[in-house]
Amino acid sequence: MYKNGEVDPAVRALEARQDEIMRKLHELKAAVEGLAKTVTTPDADLDLTVSSSLSSHSCSSATFKGVTDLDTVLGKDLGALRDIVINANPAQPPLSLLVLHSLLSQRYRVLSTVHVHSSVTSVPPQLLSCLGPRHADSYARQMFQLGFTLIWKDVPKLQMKFSVQNMCPIEGEANVARFLFKLLAPYPSDPALATLVDSWVDTAFFQLAEGSAKERSAVLRALNSALGRNPWLAGPEFSLADIACYCCVQQSGSASAAPANVQRWIKSCENLGHFSPAKLLLQ
Amino acid sequence: MNKAAGGPVEVVHLSGCSFSSSGSKQSGASLTCMPSPAIGTGGGGVGGLEGWRPDRALVRVQDLTPDKADQLIWLRARVHTSRAKGKQCFLVLRQQQFNVQALVAVGDRASKQMVKFAANITKESIVDVEASVRKVEQKIESCSQQDVELHIERIFVVSQAEPRLPLQLEDAVRPDGEGEEEGRATVNQDTKLDNRVIDLRTTTSQAIFRLQSGVCQLFRDTLTKKGFVEIQTPKIISAASEGGANVFTVSYFKTSAYLAQSPQLYKQMCICADFDKVFCVGPVFRAEDSNTHRHLTEFVGLDIEMAFSYHYHEVIESITDTMVQIFKGLRDNFQTEIQTVNKQFPSEPFKFLEPTLRLEYTEGVAMLREAGVEMGDEDDLRSEHLARTYDTDFYVLDKYPLAVRPFYTMPDPNDLKYSNSYDMFMRGEEILSGAQRIHDAQLLTERATHHQIDLEKIKSYIDSFRYGAPPHGGGGIGLERVCMLYLGLHNVRQTSMFPRDPKRLTP
Repeated sequence: MYKNGEVDPAVRALEARQDEIMRKLHELKAAVEGLAKTVTTPDADLDLTVSSSLSSHSCSSATFKGVTDLDTVLGKDLGALRDIVINANPAQPPLSLLVLHSLLSQRYRVLSTVHVHSSVTSVPPQLLSCLGPRHADSYARQMFQLGFTLIWKDVPKLQMKFSVQNMCPIEGEANVARFLFKLLAPYPSDPALATLVDSWVDTAFFQLAEGSAKERSAVLRALNSALGRNPWLAGPEFSLADIACYCCVQQSGSASAAPANVQRWIKSCENLGHFSPAKLLLQ
Repeated sequence: MNKAAGGPVEVVHLSGCSFSSSGSKQSGASLTCMPSPAIGTGGGGVGGLEGWRPDRALVRVQDLTPDKADQLIWLRARVHTSRAKGKQCFLVLRQQQFNVQALVAVGDRASKQMVKFAANITKESIVDVEASVRKVEQKIESCSQQDVELHIERIFVVSQAEPRLPLQLEDAVRPDGEGEEEGRATVNQDTKLDNRVIDLRTTTSQAIFRLQSGVCQLFRDTLTKKGFVEIQTPKIISAASEGGANVFTVSYFKTSAYLAQSPQLYKQMCICADFDKVFCVGPVFRAEDSNTHRHLTEFVGLDIEMAFSYHYHEVIESITDTMVQIFKGLRDNFQTEIQTVNKQFPSEPFKFLEPTLRLEYTEGVAMLREAGVEMGDEDDLRSEHLARTYDTDFYVLDKYPLAVRPFYTMPDPNDLKYSNSYDMFMRGEEILSGAQRIHDAQLLTERATHHQIDLEKIKSYIDSFRYGAPPHGGGGIGLERVCMLYLGLHNVRQTSMFPRDPKRLTP
């Protein structure tokens, strides 16, 4: 190593490269730690109602990376309010869509209305107020970017209609959830990650919501092991997978008996503040 | 005693009684006969004509159910059909929407002459019948009372019908398509309207007008619950309010007067007189020479007017809620009537949303532009588009352009090209035109001048607003049109009992 009492230049170069790598590792570690701090963790002293109203704007910008432009996704605004019409059966309220509605309302000016269709005789009051209080400006429809019209109707399967001239109706809560999510943020660009999100969404709506007790336990075990590796179901980012699974876990009544990682994840979801409309309906 | 033709006829058939015919030939099968003193039936007349009142309760046909089996009952009904078959006569007795099979059979209760007599009773005659109710083995599909039939012991003709009817009831009730297919007759509308008294007896007509009565009832009840006061307004007025073109003139002693086109002026005067919320139900006269499926020269107007606190949308909400309560009341309490009408006139059930869908006029235009339509049947296309998107047959279109509305419409303070006015549609046709009214005498005068209306003619109208007038608005619907559209019928004359149009003044 030492030649003529001096350090061999090859060794010095090696040391320099080693120092560089160490420096980069330190930077990466600091970056990861910084990111970890943006993911909120359960804090007993934090008042959820206060934090969700204060952090509503920062929350949605931190919640989803990537921006969606409404005009690009939905087509140019031609002067008629772009209204998303959802026909849902009051016997099976679509919790994930209520959560997505709350997220949409934070991002855009949304005119939300709830109607009861004549095919249904009556509906419990919490289903009438599930989209929140009426917007103060609701008499001036042209001030809104998007309409969200929820109609409680005697339908066999949940159905969404938008721009009936150009689009056929979309059926099933999972598919409508995917449509609404894409108005908020694009799917992950990595195809493997995007497929993972979709896979969890399907698992939520098929095995968790409609499956047998055996299927549900299997899903909870899968959730538990996935959440042991990552804070959220599709890796480091909160995604539609988390929304779908949270809602279906709650609706199937499996929350209280869920394994440890799942319980921790449920609390993290609730801490984000978007799930309050779903929780209100479950009471 | 012999009775004159048309008087009650008694045929008594207890053993030991003699039956004699008076021999006088009269049209149809009316027979007069001597009541046998051995029986002591006391003249056997029917109440009213005889002057005595039998202690008898008449059973309704709709109450003839298996739980009355083997009871001996009296009832009064029309002879819908009668058919002799050997030693028996089958009758169908009808009472409004209900009918029941009845049987006169030769036996110890009835003689051959009685069977013949029954078979010869003309259709539509009103009869009193004493019969025992019997359960039947097989359901009688053709009658409303399917589980029982009547075995007649006594039959009286209360009022005889002429043998040649101007129209047959089964023809009047036959669906149009069916008539063509089977080569059977249907009755065209003019014949039905010319013989309205008989046409109204059909099950379909009975159902339509019972439903219409329900609409009136629900309108009154809903508004009364909301704190509205019912008022009556004059129909003979001195000046044509809405512009003079379509008014009927009547001679009024030494001058002329007009028949009111709407209670508009008087509703508003009531608001200025502090009645706060009013409604009225009464005739409306429009001298419009329109011969369409939805115009009448006289119809029943259901009108609403109310003062509001801050925004005219309070008025829209009140009106749409009233309409929704009417639709719900019909849906929940008149299904029998709706099904009866649908048998002859099939249609889709009426769908609506609660709260009512409200769109703006400009949105409607944009919607049509998106569909590539510039001019034409805007109402139809817009309604079809909305039905496809929201699955509703009822909606409100708000904020019409100011130029197309009457002079007393309040302009939109945010955009003077538009107005605080609205129309409501059922199955694509307009049923209500309403607005916030101008409650300031100065502004009203300006708008009237702008519309080139003679201020002298509307002086008393403008005067009503000079002494403090609350902001208010309202609207009116036509009873016949609402019923027609609710049931999915295609001509307003079907829902008007004795319709009036440019070509019809009778019955």
